[in-house]
Amino acid sequence: MSVAQDHKPLLTHEVGSLDKPGWRVKAYAGQPLTDKDFEEARSWGEQLTVPEYEKLLDLLHHAPFGKDQKAEIQRWSSLYALRLEESAGLDVVYDGEQQRTEMYDWAVSHTNGFERRGGVRAFDNKYYSKAAVVGPISLRSPFHNAEFSYLVSVADAELKIPVTGAYTIADWSFDERYDVDTDLRESATERRRKRKAARRDFVLEVARNLIRPNLQALIGLGARWIQVDEPGASTEADELDLFVDSFNASVEGLDATFSTHLCFSDYNLFFPAIERMSQCRQFAVGFANYDSRELGTSDEARPGYEVIKKFRDLSYKPALGLGVLDIHSDFIESPELVRDRVLYAVKVFGDAKRIHVTPDCGLRTRSWKVAYEKLKNMTAGVELARKQLGV
Amino acid sequence: MINVFAYQHGIYPRSEQVVAATRGVDRGRVGADAVERAFADDLAAFVRVQKDAGMDVFSDGLLKWQDIFRPLLEGLGTKPHTLVRWFDTNTFFREPELSGKVPTLGSPNGVVPDASVPRPRVSTLPSPYMFSRASRTDQDRNRLMIDLAERVLRPAVDAAVAAGSQMIHLEDPWLGYFGIKKDDWAPLNDALKILHRDLDATLAFHVYFGDAGPHIDQLLRLPVDAIGVDLIETDVNELGSRWDKGLVAGVINGRNSIIESVENTVEVARHLADRVRPRNLYLSSNCELGYLPTVVAERKVQRLGEAARKLKELVSV
Repeated sequence: MSVAQDHKPLLTHEVGSLDKPGWRVKAYAGQPLTDKDFEEARSWGEQLTVPEYEKLLDLLHHAPFGKDQKAEIQRWSSLYALRLEESAGLDVVYDGEQQRTEMYDWAVSHTNGFERRGGVRAFDNKYYSKAAVVGPISLRSPFHNAEFSYLVSVADAELKIPVTGAYTIADWSFDERYDVDTDLRESATERRRKRKAARRDFVLEVARNLIRPNLQALIGLGARWIQVDEPGASTEADELDLFVDSFNASVEGLDATFSTHLCFSDYNLFFPAIERMSQCRQFAVGFANYDSRELGTSDEARPGYEVIKKFRDLSYKPALGLGVLDIHSDFIESPELVRDRVLYAVKVFGDAKRIHVTPDCGLRTRSWKVAYEKLKNMTAGVELARKQLGV
Repeated sequence: MINVFAYQHGIYPRSEQVVAATRGVDRGRVGADAVERAFADDLAAFVRVQKDAGMDVFSDGLLKWQDIFRPLLEGLGTKPHTLVRWFDTNTFFREPELSGKVPTLGSPNGVVPDASVPRPRVSTLPSPYMFSRASRTDQDRNRLMIDLAERVLRPAVDAAVAAGSQMIHLEDPWLGYFGIKKDDWAPLNDALKILHRDLDATLAFHVYFGDAGPHIDQLLRLPVDAIGVDLIETDVNELGSRWDKGLVAGVINGRNSIIESVENTVEVARHLADRVRPRNLYLSSNCELGYLPTVVAERKVQRLGEAARKLKELVSV
């Protein structure tokens, strides 16, 4: 099955996470809810026409919450996020990862072989929890099944499941298992050789023993499109082959459509390595962060998209998930700006069916208000492009 | 006899309390005063860790710095550009926007150590080479390097020294990671001359995230008092011998959570003392510790102090 061939031209979808509403965060943490939190739940429920959202308001008034109630509140949060994406007009949706703690933490906390070490900073005031691999890696239990089963039961639009990839999980972890006997008196060349071999063992063990069984479980539940998130993929320029090997080891022979998400990198680094990634049917890639905000469809007007030609030329002809929303800024891209970014990409590819339209990355660093406005303008911009292209 | 010192340079990690407070303020859930209190507690804790570990020079951990360039850019009144990955780490910096003429640093307040930090103090700043390469600019990068040294870094260095810094630590992962062209050494030399001229403090130039071995001859000719190397990436046998400069030995790994053994660390340091024979030996981490959770970083600083204590005993006999 091919994403590019099975979907309409200029398919729109989200990439991953959305911010978690205050009522969801506080209820889960056992903190008191404020009037602002109740109003947030009410107003978004009304605006997004969430069915029976009054039941959530009633539930939120019954703190303290037990385990079952917290799980129910998380499902409400999933439903709200799903409706936000559907209401914004996206063709393919998920739930903004509302039931997960965070893309990395959620995965390693359901895995044998890791121990949490604490929080580290990614940039500014953004942080993530980091663990160390300390023992043999294995899946404790499939960790996306419950959310996927719930979303299947409530979604109107098609679902695409984001799953954190093997390379990123390894790259974002400390290694206390594979490369532990560093002796600074040994030659640096020998130490680098050992480190490289240990790294390969680590990444591929995550792919085979953690990611692959989790994907198999989702496919068993009927999942058809799984996006393997690899924001860490290009962290080490000399490990792109290892990233590709880990993707292939994760998905080889499995019966579903697989795509991958890459962001905030020098994308030139991925070539030629990803020429061997033929089971990846779509690359969702962030570009808007590097682009001009001026209108136009010339090369000069669209500097952030220069590299897309390389994705076009991949022999297995994957679709390109074209990032058109800068997720690090509250700037609301106009429909016309989205249109021009899309038209430029279609011009380069010469085939609108190979272009899908997405935000650069998950929108969790933006408020729901900003995320919603951005997504609505994205779908409006795609409509403008469709009209202009006659597709 | 070699003088041995230990200090911790660069951006230090923030505690879970600061993480929660800064997250909260970004989302409008806590006030700015709560963030200030959390930062003050972190600074007090970091000073305590350094004192307990027996550090010889003290840092404020640059706890409020969003990245190594940000307070300087704020002092210049310029806005940073897009997020860019910080070398091969899962951290990012905002690219300095330095097109056109570089303004003079107006307010260096954001770069001087807090008054509560014990003396002697160390201040960490970006090296002019890295600063000029990591920035977005329409200028010639070597010209930019000189301008940054003159108009931005020298005022920052002077402010730090006036505030009690006796050690100025210039960090340069760019040279370690990407290398340097042959023709860029002379402008780097000129830029460092600007910083070193009549300086009443020790100036260290620290190359990390890469092998310093191939550059050692050039590094030793730079007008600075000490050269720093990343010993996770550099072969101790490629450092030469009989240095007429100090050596900042990055013996603690800031990118791995495994706590170093005191014995191995002391043996490596002793080897450096015997073989390289630098004027002064400064034990430190190979890079800033900001990639670690606070609890791990604290243990690494303690371990650094233990190793320095043992080494001092060994080299004094």
